[in-house]
Amino acid sequence: MDTITKKVSQEIAAGDIGPNLSCRYHPSHFTGQDCTFCYCPFYPCLDQTFGYDVIRENGEPVWDCQDCLFIHRHAVAQFVMHEIKDKGLAAGDSRLLQEVLSEAKRRYWHRGRALMVVGATSDAGKSVAVAAICRILHRAGYLVAPFKSQNMSLNSRVTVRGCEISMIQMLQAQAAGLTNADEHMNPILLKPKGDTVSQVMVEGKPFGDYTVEQYYKEFVPGPGREAVKRNLDFLLDRYDMVVMEGAGSPAEINIYDADIANMQAAALADADCLLIVNVEWGGSFAYAIGTIELLSPADRARIKGIILNNVRGDPQKLRGGADELAKRVGIPVVGIVPHLDIDLPNEDSEVFRGRNSRGTGSKRIAVIKLPRIANFTDLDPLSLEDTTVVYVTRPEELAGAGAVIIPGTKNTVGDMHWLEQTGLADAIRGLKEKVPIVGICGGYQMMGRVLHDPHGLEGEGPGDTPGLGLFDSESHWDSYDKRVIRDRGELIDGGGEVEGYEIHMGKTDSREQPLFRITSHGRRDETEGSVRSAQMLFGTYLHGVFDRPAFRTKLMNLINAGGAPAPAAPSKDYAAEVDRNLDRLADGFESALDLSFFRKLLRGEL
Amino acid sequence: MKAIIFLGTASGAGKTTLNAVYCRHLRQIGARPAPFKASNLSLNSYVTADGREIGMGQAFQAWACGLEPTIEMNPVLLKPTGKGTMQLMLLGKPVADLSSTRPMDREKVLATVGAAFDRLQDSCGVVVCEGSGSPAELNLQKTDLANVGLMRLRQVPAVLVADIERGGVFAAIYGTWLLMPPDVRPLLKGFIINRFRGDAVILRYGIDRITELTGMPCLGVVPYRALRFPAEDSMSDTEGRLSGQDVHQAFLDNLDRLLADATDAGLDLATLDRIASLST
Repeated sequence: MDTITKKVSQEIAAGDIGPNLSCRYHPSHFTGQDCTFCYCPFYPCLDQTFGYDVIRENGEPVWDCQDCLFIHRHAVAQFVMHEIKDKGLAAGDSRLLQEVLSEAKRRYWHRGRALMVVGATSDAGKSVAVAAICRILHRAGYLVAPFKSQNMSLNSRVTVRGCEISMIQMLQAQAAGLTNADEHMNPILLKPKGDTVSQVMVEGKPFGDYTVEQYYKEFVPGPGREAVKRNLDFLLDRYDMVVMEGAGSPAEINIYDADIANMQAAALADADCLLIVNVEWGGSFAYAIGTIELLSPADRARIKGIILNNVRGDPQKLRGGADELAKRVGIPVVGIVPHLDIDLPNEDSEVFRGRNSRGTGSKRIAVIKLPRIANFTDLDPLSLEDTTVVYVTRPEELAGAGAVIIPGTKNTVGDMHWLEQTGLADAIRGLKEKVPIVGICGGYQMMGRVLHDPHGLEGEGPGDTPGLGLFDSESHWDSYDKRVIRDRGELIDGGGEVEGYEIHMGKTDSREQPLFRITSHGRRDETEGSVRSAQMLFGTYLHGVFDRPAFRTKLMNLINAGGAPAPAAPSKDYAAEVDRNLDRLADGFESALDLSFFRKLLRGEL
Repeated sequence: MKAIIFLGTASGAGKTTLNAVYCRHLRQIGARPAPFKASNLSLNSYVTADGREIGMGQAFQAWACGLEPTIEMNPVLLKPTGKGTMQLMLLGKPVADLSSTRPMDREKVLATVGAAFDRLQDSCGVVVCEGSGSPAELNLQKTDLANVGLMRLRQVPAVLVADIERGGVFAAIYGTWLLMPPDVRPLLKGFIINRFRGDAVILRYGIDRITELTGMPCLGVVPYRALRFPAEDSMSDTEGRLSGQDVHQAFLDNLDRLLADATDAGLDLATLDRIASLST
């Protein structure tokens, strides 16, 4: 406490500094934050709007306000500094400081407003619309957070607090200018384990396994609905705007009362809603009017506008139909958005629907399309290079590949069996020393000699399964433990940094040279992965390993040289590229939306 | 008149395939079916024995009927030729290049459609028609040929096919019904939910509600099957299984497999036959 008092005194002496661009941690919360008070003068304010007690191991409560952004709002920081100087308060004068806080709160705190995008179908464009709106609002100076009640996806990411959330909310948070997404933005995550059972994660941590029926009957009405409400309230207390994303269609009348991802969530946040329809498949007017007319009257009243999305050709050719639709439902069409060809990370197996390759570059990279492939967004950055990424399910499709990547999977043992049955396992063994082979997570586990699963935790029954035998390593599943952590590191033989995250059950003991030195956990000599440079074999648990240029460049050099490293132009930084594309996405939506409608919507005047 | 038309709530809803599946059934019961689609917008065409172009989908359906494809089965073909222009082919012959400034002579084209439909009907037992895209495109409804156009022209009763895979299936059915012009709406006799995975019991409440709202009965929930059929346009799902040497026969085998599975899942062929006026 004395340390904080001292730091605050120094801050008061330093005066207004606004964003501290020279700080190595900047921006620690969001782009544009005010850093005048890095240490909050009100700590511990004990105001439940801003923080909460956490119980320490010794049983003592400690005030935790790491999610509070209030003091980093420019207007608040200025007001507080002015009051403190004006009244000559000494830091630590708690009674008077409480008065300043009360006044600051009275002037500058208000509960945020919620806006929700619901879709007429899956793939209507909800996720990108939310990302675009987050970026538009962020650029307009709002403090904004994305939210989706519930996601069904194997493509999760790890937050700085070690929680799993959907990668899409992570991307939307980046669009909102936030440095860190957190578990409140996607409180429920369903990870399919088999055809009928899913692991349910609540606030980023495993909660339990549920069948579809149990999920709707037991989880949704109790802990599910509670989690949605709790986390919406949390975000609405801290942000100006919460931009919510629905799931699937809100008009699934057979499960209407059990659908906490759409209109029930909208009601909990009192959100105004926009309905987005993908016109690409046709029938969009029917989908729009049908969706609206099947909602309950109270839910229908929340729909303030309709967006026709993904229009190829001249958007104006839809104007007449759009006007007719608006007249029939009494809700305006507030945007006709053209097809935007912008490369952003993808979610869900939708990517693979009817498509087995990506890109048209000269270097062919074969990705093994495992039946339970997971975290295949790992591969997106390869599009930045001169590559064609081919998704492979048969040995003959490996022909002509300059490299082979074995991606992650939700079930390593089951997919290893598949690899043997399809003949792909032998085909990959045959490519050893001929082309680079990279295994990520489950793919890395498969590259070893054996997979020990004595308790059948992977779901294929207890026993040992031979791996590809490319590495002298063994993976074992001794307990239901799951490792979820973010890492930063560097290639051990030089070449630069990598950043990524691990999500896996099972551990690997390797007698190979390690691939990376981990620098982010504060321990010396921590390493990760396996490498046999001469044989071009690479294995790692790090998802996102290609995001930063270093490892991607190493792989491309090997491919380009047919084995021997060759110099190449510096690669692009994927995160920066994504950020530019988020701006382009926001530009695309901004120019297609009726902005006067949008301004009224934000002011709650509709 | 013995005829029926399969309409879709969107492109790729499964009209072409379910039309062909129904043709297989009609062929099995000796009803002498023939396929018909008033107009196709496609670059993917097939050439008839007398050297004229028709849509691939109708050729496929003709084979399902055990017939040689003929030009009557698809009298109008629109081929996109570039920015905003389309070549209009009538009975397999190019007759005009259309653009926004040079629209189609709709009366003349409709007369050709009607005459082709009549000739086909004279030569077969029942005409199994297919719509095009969605019949509820507010911006296209006035000039539509293959959906509302044909239904009005020959009072063809219709079944609506809706794809459940993308979600929003009840909205799609109800919305399409709502947007049908009032004079044509009574011709909508039922709906089929296509590509369903799982236990159809969970759809029960939704189906009943749609029937209550529209009066249309549900004629079946067709299970998803990874079976491959000829790709007619870029929207169609062309992944899936195809085995054997003769590709025609392989497609037909897949149709029979789907017919058997759909019948097992409760596809109401008796009601479809009644709608097509094959029985009363």
